Amino acid sequence: MTVFRRIPQWELLLIVLTLCAAAWSSNLSPYYLSVDQILLSTRQFVYPGILALGLAVVVVLGEIDISLASILAFGAVLFSKCSEVGMAIWLATPLVILACAALGAFNGVLVTRLRLPSLAVTLGTMGAYRGLAFIVGSEYGYTSFDSSYTFIGSTKLFGALPVSFLVFLALAAGVIFLMHKTVFGRRCYAVGNNKEAAWIAGIDVANLKTQAFALGGGLAGIASLVWIGQYGSARGDNADGSILLVVTAVVLGGIDINGGRGSMVGVVLALFLLGTIRNGMGLANMAGPTQTVVLGTLLIIGVLRPLIARGIARLRQQLASSGHAGN
Amino acid sequence: MKIRSALLSAAAVALTLGLGAASTAQAEDSGFKIMMTPKWTGFPYFEAAARGGEAAAEELGDEFVYAGADHADVTLQVETLQNFLTQRPDAILLAAIDLNAVAPVLKEAMEQGIVVTTFDADAAADARDMFVNQMSYKQAAKTMLDCALIDAPEGGEVAFVAASPTSPNHSAHIKFMKEYIETDPTYQVFTVVDTQYANDDDAKSYDVAINLMQAHPNLKVIISSSAVSAPAGARAIAAAGRAGEVYSTGFALPDAIKSYLEDGSQKCFALWNPYELGYLATYVTHLKLAGKLELTPGTTFEAGKAGSYTVGEGGEIVYGKPMMFTKDTVDDAGF
Repeated sequence: MTVFRRIPQWELLLIVLTLCAAAWSSNLSPYYLSVDQILLSTRQFVYPGILALGLAVVVVLGEIDISLASILAFGAVLFSKCSEVGMAIWLATPLVILACAALGAFNGVLVTRLRLPSLAVTLGTMGAYRGLAFIVGSEYGYTSFDSSYTFIGSTKLFGALPVSFLVFLALAAGVIFLMHKTVFGRRCYAVGNNKEAAWIAGIDVANLKTQAFALGGGLAGIASLVWIGQYGSARGDNADGSILLVVTAVVLGGIDINGGRGSMVGVVLALFLLGTIRNGMGLANMAGPTQTVVLGTLLIIGVLRPLIARGIARLRQQLASSGHAGN
Repeated sequence: MKIRSALLSAAAVALTLGLGAASTAQAEDSGFKIMMTPKWTGFPYFEAAARGGEAAAEELGDEFVYAGADHADVTLQVETLQNFLTQRPDAILLAAIDLNAVAPVLKEAMEQGIVVTTFDADAAADARDMFVNQMSYKQAAKTMLDCALIDAPEGGEVAFVAASPTSPNHSAHIKFMKEYIETDPTYQVFTVVDTQYANDDDAKSYDVAINLMQAHPNLKVIISSSAVSAPAGARAIAAAGRAGEVYSTGFALPDAIKSYLEDGSQKCFALWNPYELGYLATYVTHLKLAGKLELTPGTTFEAGKAGSYTVGEGGEIVYGKPMMFTKDTVDDAGF
C-alpha cells in the first residue's frame, strides 16, 4: 500500500503529463523534437512564468492579484522613459523594479488596511495601472531601446538558449527557496491556512501580505525587462490578456486558490506542461479555437484538482481498509 | 514503445519533408512554402483572405499554411510567427496586431532569408519586405462619402465615429473626408458637425450613435471606418426609431449589415474584397520568391486573376478596389 501512498503526488503527475505532451507534440509535428527548438520555445513562457511566480506567492496567502500584467506594462513604459533619457541599464533596472514593487505594495495596502477583497482591489488597479502606463508612455509606443536594455530579453546563447529563460530559472529557484526554506515562506503558508491562528501566533498578517504583493509587483518589473527585449517595444497595452494563462499556471500547479497549500515547484512544472502543449499545438498549426479549448480544459482540471486529490485519497483508504480486512 | 514509435515516425516525416524542401529549392519557380497568420482566426474577413491566399498558392503550385490564435493578442501572434520560423517556410504573410511588437521576430525571419509580407495591417517598415494595403486613405475616404451620398443624395449634417484620436487609419480617413467636403463640389452638400470615439467597441459605438442623434436633431449620416461602429450605428438608428431619417455608413462586413439593407432602414455600406486581398498578397509574395518582382517604386506587374498593380513607396502595394454593398449587391459579396 505504500506505493499508492507515494504515487499521487501532483508534481509527479505534472511531470508525467509534460512527457506525454512532448511525445504527443513530436507525433503532431516533425519540427518539435529538437533541443534548439524546445529551448527557443521557452521564450514565449518567460514573462507569464515570472508573473506566475509572483502570483503564486500572493495566492498562498489566500489573496489574488490580477493587476500584475498591468504592472508589467507600466514597467515596460518606465523602461522606455529611462532609455529615452539615456539612463544606464544597471540604474534603470532597480528603479523600475522598485516602482513596480511599489504598485504591488499599494495593492497590498488597500487590501490589508482598508480590508477590501483583493479581487475587487486588483480588478480596479488592473485598469488604473494600465491607464497610468498609457499616461507615462504614448499611445504610439516606444521602440528605440538602447541595446543594453534589450539584452536580457533578446539574447540567445549558443544560438538557442534564451538568456531570459536562465533568468526565469534563477527567479524560480529563488522563489522556491523563499517559500519552502525560509521563515517568510512558512509564515505565508501559516497565514494562508488560518489567518487568525497566525495572528495569535504573533505574525504581522497585514505586513506580510503587503510584502507578498510587493514581491509580485517587483517580479512583474523583472518580467517587463524581459518583455522589452523580446518584443523590442513598450506600450500601455503590453501583456494585455495574459493574466488568464498566469492564473492557469498557478492553479494547475497545485496552489490552492483559497491559500495555504501547494508548492512552488508545482507552478514551475505546470508552466513547463502548458509550454510543451502550446508549443506542440502551435507547430502543428492547430486551429486557434482548438488550442483555447485544450488550455481551458487544463484550467478546469487545475480547479478540480482538490476534488481529484480527495477522490484518490478516498480510494486509497478503501484499498487500505480492504487490505486490512484481507489480513 | 509507443513513444519510441512516435519518435521514429516523427523522424521519418522530418526526413521526407527535408527532402521535399531540397527538391523544391531547385525548381525555384513553384513549390514555395507560404505561411499566413491573420490578426485572429475565425473572423469571416480573415477566413476569406485565407481562402484567397490558398487559391493563389494552388494556382501557382505553392504550399499554403494558415494558422493563428482565435483572439487578437500580440504575444500569441509572435508565438505563432516563432512557430512558423521553426517550420522553415519560404515566406510569411501576416496582418500585424501591433506594428512594433512583431518587428523582432519578423527581422529574425528576414535574416534567415524568409520573405515577409504584411496585408491589411502593416508592421514596422524595416521588418517586412512588402505591405499589401487594402486601400489608400484618400480612396477609403471617397468611398465612404459616396455611400453617404446614396444614403442622403440631398446632403445634410454628417458626424464621424473613429476608434480613438490616435488610431492612424481612422484619423487619416476623417482628415480626407473633411477635405473632400470642403473642396469637392460633389460632396459640398455635406456639413461636418461632430467627431466621436468608440474604441471599436460594439456597446460604446451604439451609445455614441444614440448621443449623436440626440445632440444633433438634423443629423443625416453617421460615418465610421470601424467595421464594429458602422453596424452598431445602424442598430442604434433602428432602436431610436429614426430609420429613414438618419443613416449609418462606412466599412462593415456584409453579414453584419445585410438585415438593415434588406429591411430598408439602411442603404449603403462599403468594404473591399478580403478574398482578393489575400489572393493578391500571396501572389506578390510568390512573385518575389520567384525573383519576378522588383520592389522599386513604379514597377508594374500582373497578379493573376487580381489584375495589374504598381509598386509604391517603401514596398507598399495598394489593392484599392472598394466594394459598395446595397440591398441589391450585398448577396453577391461572397464572404
